[in-house]
Amino acid sequence: MDATSEPSGPHGGSVVGLTFGVIGFGFMIFAALLGARKRVPTWRIGRAQAWMRGHLWLGLLSLPVILFHGGFHFGGTLTSVLMWLLIITVASGVFGAALQHYLPRVMTTDVKLETIYDEIGNVRKLLREEADRGVETICGPLGFGKSEKEEMQRAGGFSAARAMAATSSGAAVAAVAETVVLTEEERAPLRKFYLSEMRPFLEQPKLRGSRLGDADKAHGTFSGLQTLMPPAAQTTLQDLEDICDEARQLVRQERLHDLLHGWLLVHIPISLALILLGAVHAVMALRY
Amino acid sequence: MSTITRLPELVEITIDGRPVRVAAGTSVFDAARMNGTSIPTLCHLQNETPVGVCRLCVVDTGARVLTASCVRPVEPGMKVVTNSEKVFNARKTLLELLMADHPSPCARQDKSGDCELETWAKAAGITQPRFAKRTVSRGIDDSSLAIAVDHDACILCDRCIRGCDEIRNNFVLGRMGKGYSAGIAFDLNAPMGDSTCISCGECMVSCPTGALTNKTVVGTSIAGGLDSQGFEAEELLQLPVFKGVSGTFLELNRGAIVKRRFHPGEIVCREGEFGSTAFYILEGKARVSLSSPIAHVKTQGGAKGLFKKLTSTLAARDTDVRAEETRDRTIPIDAPVDLAYGNPVAELGPGDLFGEMTCMNFYPRSATVIAETDVVAFEMLRNVLDIMMKNKSFRAQIDQNYRKRALENHLRGVPMFAGLSPDFIEHLKGSVELQRFAPGQVIARQGDAAGSFYLVRIGFVKISETYPGGELVLAYLSRGDYFGEIGLLGGGVRTATCTALDHVEVVRISGDDFRDMVERFPSVRQGLEAVAAERGAQNQQRMQTVKSVPIDQFLSQGLMEAQSLLILDLNNCTRCDACVNACADAHDGVTRLVREGLRFEQYLVATSCRQCRDPLCMVGCPVGAIRRRNSLEVIIEDWCIGCGLCARNCPYGNINLHPFDVMVEDLERPGRKKAVVKQKATSCDLCTHLKEPSCVYACPHDAAHRVDPRTFFSEMLGGGTAK
Amino acid sequence: MARTRTTKKLAQRIDLNYFKRPTALKRAKFWLSVGVPVIALAWIGWHGFARDSRVYSSGRMTEAHAVLEADCAACHVQTAGMFSAAASDAACLSCHDGPLHHAAATKSVGCATCHAEHRGRVNLVAARNEACAECHGDLKANSGVAHYTVHIESFEDGHPEFGALRPLNGMVTHDPGTIRVNHAIHMKPIRRGPNGPNVQLECGDCHQSRGATAEWKYADTSYASANVSYSEQDEVLPPKIGTLPRPGHESGCELMAPVKFANSCAGCHSLAFDERFNEGVPHDKPEVVHVFLVKKFSEYIAAHPGDLREMRNPGHDLSGKPVQPVVRPYTPNEWVGARIKDAEELLWRKTCKQCHALAVGAGQNNLPVVEPARTSVKWMPHAKFDHNAHRGFACASCHEKALSSTETSDVLLPGIATCKTCHAPGPERAESRCFECHTYHDWSKRREVKPTFTLPALGTNGR
Repeated sequence: MDATSEPSGPHGGSVVGLTFGVIGFGFMIFAALLGARKRVPTWRIGRAQAWMRGHLWLGLLSLPVILFHGGFHFGGTLTSVLMWLLIITVASGVFGAALQHYLPRVMTTDVKLETIYDEIGNVRKLLREEADRGVETICGPLGFGKSEKEEMQRAGGFSAARAMAATSSGAAVAAVAETVVLTEEERAPLRKFYLSEMRPFLEQPKLRGSRLGDADKAHGTFSGLQTLMPPAAQTTLQDLEDICDEARQLVRQERLHDLLHGWLLVHIPISLALILLGAVHAVMALRY
Repeated sequence: MSTITRLPELVEITIDGRPVRVAAGTSVFDAARMNGTSIPTLCHLQNETPVGVCRLCVVDTGARVLTASCVRPVEPGMKVVTNSEKVFNARKTLLELLMADHPSPCARQDKSGDCELETWAKAAGITQPRFAKRTVSRGIDDSSLAIAVDHDACILCDRCIRGCDEIRNNFVLGRMGKGYSAGIAFDLNAPMGDSTCISCGECMVSCPTGALTNKTVVGTSIAGGLDSQGFEAEELLQLPVFKGVSGTFLELNRGAIVKRRFHPGEIVCREGEFGSTAFYILEGKARVSLSSPIAHVKTQGGAKGLFKKLTSTLAARDTDVRAEETRDRTIPIDAPVDLAYGNPVAELGPGDLFGEMTCMNFYPRSATVIAETDVVAFEMLRNVLDIMMKNKSFRAQIDQNYRKRALENHLRGVPMFAGLSPDFIEHLKGSVELQRFAPGQVIARQGDAAGSFYLVRIGFVKISETYPGGELVLAYLSRGDYFGEIGLLGGGVRTATCTALDHVEVVRISGDDFRDMVERFPSVRQGLEAVAAERGAQNQQRMQTVKSVPIDQFLSQGLMEAQSLLILDLNNCTRCDACVNACADAHDGVTRLVREGLRFEQYLVATSCRQCRDPLCMVGCPVGAIRRRNSLEVIIEDWCIGCGLCARNCPYGNINLHPFDVMVEDLERPGRKKAVVKQKATSCDLCTHLKEPSCVYACPHDAAHRVDPRTFFSEMLGGGTAK
Repeated sequence: MARTRTTKKLAQRIDLNYFKRPTALKRAKFWLSVGVPVIALAWIGWHGFARDSRVYSSGRMTEAHAVLEADCAACHVQTAGMFSAAASDAACLSCHDGPLHHAAATKSVGCATCHAEHRGRVNLVAARNEACAECHGDLKANSGVAHYTVHIESFEDGHPEFGALRPLNGMVTHDPGTIRVNHAIHMKPIRRGPNGPNVQLECGDCHQSRGATAEWKYADTSYASANVSYSEQDEVLPPKIGTLPRPGHESGCELMAPVKFANSCAGCHSLAFDERFNEGVPHDKPEVVHVFLVKKFSEYIAAHPGDLREMRNPGHDLSGKPVQPVVRPYTPNEWVGARIKDAEELLWRKTCKQCHALAVGAGQNNLPVVEPARTSVKWMPHAKFDHNAHRGFACASCHEKALSSTETSDVLLPGIATCKTCHAPGPERAESRCFECHTYHDWSKRREVKPTFTLPALGTNGR
């Protein structure tokens, strides 16, 4: 069974070559089935962790196996394309595995106020409302309308069906405290700062150019604001600063999450194309 | 219920010529009630703020007009007359006026025969009211699925409004209109079915007449055998124990209380099983015992190895002297009696209620009960027992039983009381007060003036000290344990906070009696001082170890209460939502876990049921749908009515309400069913229908774990907590 | 209004059904996962639709078959009832003839076993050693003992010494040629002609390949243009039947031409026979020489009748006995005869005998019989050696033995070791695989294959 002693030399069509090809394709199919496995998470067909380990190892092994299958030649058009697709898939997979190993740790340490990625938009909205309310206790109504209750089912024991009951049983943010009474002159700096800088920042935290996008600059801004405002407003200012910090953390979370999941946009489609063309290749190579 | 934080002032009044001493601030009605005189009421309920609108409870206090006793606090020297001609006439006229407008027999009188108005009227001898019936009908409201509203039967007693506001905090009901058109309204006078009413039934249960009656029977069912049967509310109301319980309530919860028959030798309940029901024996005798062999827990099956054998005799005994001495005397169980250590067998007879802890707090059954003769017993769910315990006649009986059978043992169980004379014990038995506390209620606070000494009859009490950074639990006390003596001894200030962890009932010995005891029996004082010194030393030591450990966060997040936490290791988790998808997949598309919450070290404590030792969620479920059956996880039965109380009670937001499609009888087309969307509560059930929690099973990165927090974090916690 | 965080508050920010909602990432994942395979499918489908199977080719074709690169069906024919369309032998044989290697061969292999296409612009003949070693690695004879070495794996592993040099029955091989040649003398500076200057001969002065067009340095034109009566059969040993190179692939310069007297020897070796004449005898059979002598002397005496009364120089008596001077009147015939006798004495016993093996008086009319030359032209019957490919080398660098060879019987063929100096495995060495010297197909059994391709058909993929 020594491939090198074959009269026609090592190639995909020899017995050994075919064996490698079948094994390699089998590895790829199993690796692709991980996606299907995730659709039926409750079926008891093996733990998700075992499947993931299998996916990683068999996927990685498929590259050398297929290299042996082709005798380290890239062959014709279709087979060259397949080889490159395999290389891209395995490389992106290795890259992704490395990301998944390191990034969670980074996320855990960098984003202390992490929330669920899909809900970041919603949480930002709630932060804006919280900030609005905070500023309104000092500056009076700002004119931002409250958003209507959307068609969403909130978690945490919240029942949208009973709005009145909900308000008394602890809403999403702390209840509004008594209004702090300040003169118009005293609250002008906060109002100006809030309307011109902070609220736009909360609406679009990713836009560059805002001082609040950088932790140190934001701290400096708020320190400055603290000197301008009377002591009665200090807690509100501290809360606003915390809100900005949370907004910044959410931006960081978004970026890290995009990175952590973005590589899949290469890995998955390429692997599907690989399987498809691989099947075509298997059929056609056996034909010819 | 108020917490007693200082010795109350006592006021002396006379009721019907009898001198009576009650605490200042007590209403006349309560003063009379406490001293055996019952005054009829219609608008007053024990658990609601008295409003004094019906005026049926009027008494003569010697003032110009009769006063409503439910709202009038006692004053020193007041002379109250409740049985004079004047008072009777007033009541009679009042009843007559009310009966004139009452559509007799109203729906309640019809169904369960216990319309309070009609009952009082009958007792007062009113058959045919002299006054003309009102001409304008206020109509009926049939729109609610669960409750029928007959505005004509409504006497505007305000009970339902208070029930909805104060007890259930739903704020649906209010008053509207004026004069003859005055009545109750739902929201802004919407039909009940279209309002924000959640059909919890509190209004219906509070209503004294047939204005609010139940339409549907909730269909509760305790797992029945051939020997169980649910039965009509009227039957139950015949029994003396059910005197005063709302018939509508029983009607609504038909099936939540069943009558069971046991043959001799049949096992009623087995120790160690999880359950959610209590038993009340009507007839027959049963034997209660511990069937597991009693072994000293601290033995390790004999010292292994020669070295251990040699050294074990030299080693000092374990320092927990107090506990051992108590345990040597009696074993406290969830029954009116405790079991003697040497021979753990006792007898239960008619009138005995057992399984209270299991029913109220979902603890495992504490003993095995086997029927000795033919036994007829009620088995009831928590919501029924809750109502029963609020019912005064039922309570009185339980109280009496306890005093007769168990109190003495408990008192004797306190080692310091070993030297008390028998007649002092008798005196104590009569003068002690049984007090109930709701979960979370503070019995005594650190720093307050010490007033009483307490013995725990049932439930768990948490003794904790606050220190900078958090709260340190010193001990958990259960049935038979006592607390409060340190404060009484030294300087009269409480050194720790005592909080009821679950439904707790304590025996309160007043400060006077205690001081009496200490003076008369010096051995008591000595014993007490020794214990105080020891406890002080223990606490100091504990404080030392704990200072270096971030236990405060553990406590503050309530992780100590949890028996099973879903933690996500954030260093492995790729935030892929596989766990959430798996959970939803296993539960009809509704996830029982949310990947959000507070962090503990590098773990995210996910928002998912924690199977708390003391399940706050179960407090107050009107239909007893949320319970533990026979294993650890908290389940919500399918008869949940979606009132949302459990969701609100859970301090971590682990329970969510979700709309489900339910087939109900179509009232417009009888005999057919239609689908309506009904809200029901959902919560994590540990996937017991599958072998392993789906979230843990589906996590590809070994990040999701269901752990017991104490063992998982045991190294961090210093190898164990109090008790 | 300090901000507080509790589990419940955090959870209440979240929509319970968030994971069911579509997000940008999920959408992108979905559309890419659908789109990229669709593109791949479209790409393949387009090729399929255009009936272009080149995409499935596993490599470029060799140069000779490049014209078929687009016409897969030329070779890949689907046999009826089968899915497979592998290139069968029938496809190859439709254009090529591949005669059987050996009639009694036990293993027959398909064309593709040795001739692997789709490897790019490579030499299609370049079969791997393993292909040959399939049989020759462990040669089995049908009956008796195998003729050839039984375990030959490759040139460097098991290939025996060349047959011409291998001892036969314990005896060293020898050159069967009968022309006496002492290469060693010829390689030293020698005198040209009986009285000529010293010359240094080179290999190429006597030996040239068949198709060579270079001038012979030491040729004699009169001899070169003469018609000789002896034929190739008398000169050259017929080559043994062996594997012949494919006809039409020869340049004619592969082997050395047999050495001819007219071209190589005549310039120095004079065939003078009598002092009266400048020319030598023709280099031909004894009969022809005899006739030539008769004619020559006859013409002479007729032109110089006075020489009839020739005084024979007593010192010229070759018998060595003292002879009295005698004046003897000859008749012309007698004179001719005597002269012929003298000349033939010289020729048969000295001049011709110097190189040829002849038996004096063994033939008719007392003429000698000259042995056929038996020059070997092809020393390696089973290999195709090409001197032209090695023309960069100095002859003596391989044929070293020639410099010291004194005997005709010396086999001057270089041994296998000489070839192995360059022909060895490795990229810096010359090709050493079997096909470089040997052919598999027995081209002596060649048949013509009728060509089927037409120009239009090539352009339209066979249709």
